[in-house]
Amino acid sequence: MTALTLHTVERDSFFTRLDFRSKLALMAVITLVAFVWESPVLGGLLALVMALACLAAGVKFGYIRTVVTLLLPFAVFMILMQGFLGADLVRARLDRETLTPLFTFPAAWPLIGGGMMTWEGVLYALNVVFKTLTMILVLPLGIFTTDVNAMVIGMVKAHIPYKIAFIFSSTLRFFPLLFEEIQTIIEAQRLRGLAFETMGALKRLRVYAKIAVPLILGALVKSQMLDIVLQSKAFTGSPERTYLHETRLGAADYVVIAGSALFVIVAAIAYVGWGIGRFGKW
Amino acid sequence: MCVDSTAPLVTLDNVSYIYPRVEKPALHDVTLAIGKGEFLGLIGPTGAGKTTFCLSLSGIVPQFYGGRFFGHITVAGLDTLDHPVSRLARHVGAAFEDPETQITATSVENEIAFALENLSVPHEEMLIRIPRALEATRLEGTAKKHPRELSGGQKQRLAIAAALAVQPDLLVLDEPTSQLDPMGAQEVFATVRELNKTLGITVVMAGHAAEELAEYADRLVLLVDGALVAVGAPHDLYAQVEYLERCHVRPPQVAQTFARLQQAGIPVSTIPVRLEEGIAALKAISSAGLLPVRVTSAAGTPALRKKTPPLLSARNLTHVYGDGTVALRDVSLDVYAGEYLLIVGQNGAGKSTLAKHFLRLLLPTSGAVYVDNIDTRDLTTSALARRIGYVAQNPDNQIFNATVEAEVAFALKNLEYDEVEIRLRVEESLTALGLWERREAHPLALSKGDRARVVIAAILAMRPDVVIFDEPTTGQDYRGARAILDISKQLRAAGKTIIVITHHLYLMPDYAERVVVMGKGTLLLDAPIRDAYHAVDVLASTHITPPQAVLLARVLAEEHQADFPLLTPEEVAACFTVNGFRGSFADG
Repeated sequence: MTALTLHTVERDSFFTRLDFRSKLALMAVITLVAFVWESPVLGGLLALVMALACLAAGVKFGYIRTVVTLLLPFAVFMILMQGFLGADLVRARLDRETLTPLFTFPAAWPLIGGGMMTWEGVLYALNVVFKTLTMILVLPLGIFTTDVNAMVIGMVKAHIPYKIAFIFSSTLRFFPLLFEEIQTIIEAQRLRGLAFETMGALKRLRVYAKIAVPLILGALVKSQMLDIVLQSKAFTGSPERTYLHETRLGAADYVVIAGSALFVIVAAIAYVGWGIGRFGKW
Repeated sequence: MCVDSTAPLVTLDNVSYIYPRVEKPALHDVTLAIGKGEFLGLIGPTGAGKTTFCLSLSGIVPQFYGGRFFGHITVAGLDTLDHPVSRLARHVGAAFEDPETQITATSVENEIAFALENLSVPHEEMLIRIPRALEATRLEGTAKKHPRELSGGQKQRLAIAAALAVQPDLLVLDEPTSQLDPMGAQEVFATVRELNKTLGITVVMAGHAAEELAEYADRLVLLVDGALVAVGAPHDLYAQVEYLERCHVRPPQVAQTFARLQQAGIPVSTIPVRLEEGIAALKAISSAGLLPVRVTSAAGTPALRKKTPPLLSARNLTHVYGDGTVALRDVSLDVYAGEYLLIVGQNGAGKSTLAKHFLRLLLPTSGAVYVDNIDTRDLTTSALARRIGYVAQNPDNQIFNATVEAEVAFALKNLEYDEVEIRLRVEESLTALGLWERREAHPLALSKGDRARVVIAAILAMRPDVVIFDEPTTGQDYRGARAILDISKQLRAAGKTIIVITHHLYLMPDYAERVVVMGKGTLLLDAPIRDAYHAVDVLASTHITPPQAVLLARVLAEEHQADFPLLTPEEVAACFTVNGFRGSFADG
């Protein structure tokens, strides 16, 4: 399984050539639309488009598979919750009383007897799952296809304060180090006889808690070292600085920004005018 | 040397410094002037105040740390208390010990540009300075590369290039070579010396690399417990072998050799501190009227080898990492019970990768690994950990508990021993490592050396048959390194099998008997230590330089056309008597 860490795609593609500002616009629009849409069909389509776009941009299939795998327990939980218990919410969304039963537990069963799973509840759960998946996948599409330095320049050009841009980029740089550290610590614990293979979930959780001590210590040491390194490189966080690389919006960037704007406008009109994207419409 | 003593670049005037929440001063009444263009070496045992000294030159001490600071430091006329670190950064470039943590950018050129951007250097000027810095540090052609594509030595040179681009007056380097293989260290020293000579940049370098500092530094400063106890040219300071050893500072092996000769009554007018001087002096001593030489070579690996089946065995082992890096190629190796094996090789040679296969932390891409004749594929890491203890380089990643006692008991609880057995083993292990009195202490409150001992104690409590030490001496001074290796010797005497991975070859003759030399994922040589240390060409092919004593022994061999498989200064010195040449050396 590909580890869920941050990385930069190796393939040169349409996405890697875009300015980070265009990607920011695209990410904002996709996130907004995914958030607003409640239609599982449109939501599913959007998630699928995002997954395909990620693959086209060079994000590894294994990474997407890991995201989906990690989302599975959440999906099952949502389907059970909404399918059995979300009837009121779904009725309110659909503005109707009758829901389509999928199956009902025999009334004699203790606790869950008489519980009914509804088709609409399942659809609503799927809408939440697709929404979440889209909002997750939009991140690798924007982040993995951009060099961290280009991100900082793009954000500064988008009038985001340099200090915030720097903190953001430092966090991204810090993540792989953190994952590496976690792996090293787990390795050290296995070398002290911890058999993760045969361990129950509860014990495993207790063991993971032990990782916190060396992890926090390591992070503190690293961040202090980083602080010293930054200071020795005259870093003050001041926006009064120059940049080695310039960034300019190209034709493709204008197309993406305009396309994003158009998409959000069309989606808004369709949503308000014809209810497209509302739950129960599509 | 272009030292202008009349106008020092740096002055320290009665400088004392105490870190917050600490009583003992890290620097104590230090007064020193550093001339323009000088290459100053900073030596001293761990905890002597070398890092604090370096950080104080850039103003980070005390501006970043706080604490109590007394006296004055000026750099290029600027008082480090009165000027912010960012202003001082125009004059002081710095590179630190760990090449990984000091690189912050995702490309070589961006790394160099970062400080320039912070100093608002115009874009056009950056385009001129970056290639210059790359050229000066011999990193041409790497501008667009990601720093992780560089070797350890290249990364350290990148850190220096980044400092250099600012065009500083002073370059401060804090143990920049301690994590590099000998060739990487050599690259860094050569680069720094060139910058010092050709550009006249003043250099302050802290470190334990005695041989290199003797070669390159104009002057040395010895710090002990925060105080400046001696200043002088390398010839003056490193020649005081006994005094330095009392201060727990390791002099170059050349100086050690001639000091031993002097002690033995051999007339040595001046103790040489550089290799070429040592070679010349040795030739002079051994030139006349010497007896024929008969030197006994070590038998090497013990006789029990091959009589018993191997305890650890790799068969045609190949390992390819996920990113396609071939870390091991067709490696076959047998390790027998009771052996003391040393594995050496350049950074990235596959040493740790090989060791991790014995613990099933990695699985072979092809080939097989056996522990006591059982394929590791059929075992779990936790099961293997009972038999093979692995002491990794950084003890802090291996500490999870709030007391030393709990730390040692951690593995035993995982292995579900009963309370009585746990108590017994914890006491036994802590006593063996001299930590019993500190059992209630928080492990992280101990010194780095003691933290390493806690980890070793925790591993010994599992009573493994094999203990693997992976770079145990990195970041330790001579005393700390010897202390850890002495533990390995005791374990060996107690019947354990020991494997040590290290770049510090000079430390190992007293401990190891068999050496495996690795390069680019292959096994280049598997030989007794005397043969391996004298296989200079094989070592060079994997970027390893033998200790100076070995090189001196090779001079003797050349002079006398005989075998001199000597390893240490003591052994070289033992070849001579007051009346001439002892002519033989036997292992003992």
